Amino acid sequence: MFPSRALLARSVWKGPNIVPLPIVRPAPGQKVPPIKTQARSATILPNFVGLKFQVHNGKIYHDVTITEDMVGHKLGEFSPTRKRFTYKQSKNK
Amino acid sequence: MVFILGNTFHESQLLKKCLESFYGIGHQSSSRIMAKFHIFPRAKVGSLPNKTILAITAELSTMKIENELRRQLRENLSRLRDMGSYRGRRHAMGLPVRGQRTRSQITTARKLNRVDRIG
Repeated sequence: MFPSRALLARSVWKGPNIVPLPIVRPAPGQKVPPIKTQARSATILPNFVGLKFQVHNGKIYHDVTITEDMVGHKLGEFSPTRKRFTYKQSKNK
Repeated sequence: MVFILGNTFHESQLLKKCLESFYGIGHQSSSRIMAKFHIFPRAKVGSLPNKTILAITAELSTMKIENELRRQLRENLSRLRDMGSYRGRRHAMGLPVRGQRTRSQITTARKLNRVDRIG
């Protein structure tokens, strides 16, 4: 009947949105800085698992550690762009 | 009284309605099940032989319905929530998930969208 919504969202012939990101595989024991990126629409590929990203939300960079569940989603889904509304009392009327 | 998958139905009820009373069976799958056992669409439960009822019960027990389906739904939602994705967060807040406006008319989302969703 219906293929999954994820398939419908984007043409299959296009494949996933692969963005060239500076991914370095370090030697074990070495620490790598998180990858700072603004490519929110980049699809999370299986080889991203375990890496740390800093995903831009328009204002700041959010730390995102990629787990196995996230494969197939976009980086931007894990970096919220909206601020919760809070009422601010103004002092001078 | 007729028993289908642990539930009792009155003989005068339509079989289609009985099948659709299970969570996870709608118009399409109920008509498919009935077609599989050569039952006409407006058949009543009481008119069916016992053998057919047992066969339908066996067919239903292989399908993913009722609690199993509800559990799957809840697992999917909690997976989204645990990942920290936008969709999971919107479900937890009880707000529309797919970019609808929230200025007005979000009663359905308020009612349904939650991580431990009932159905």
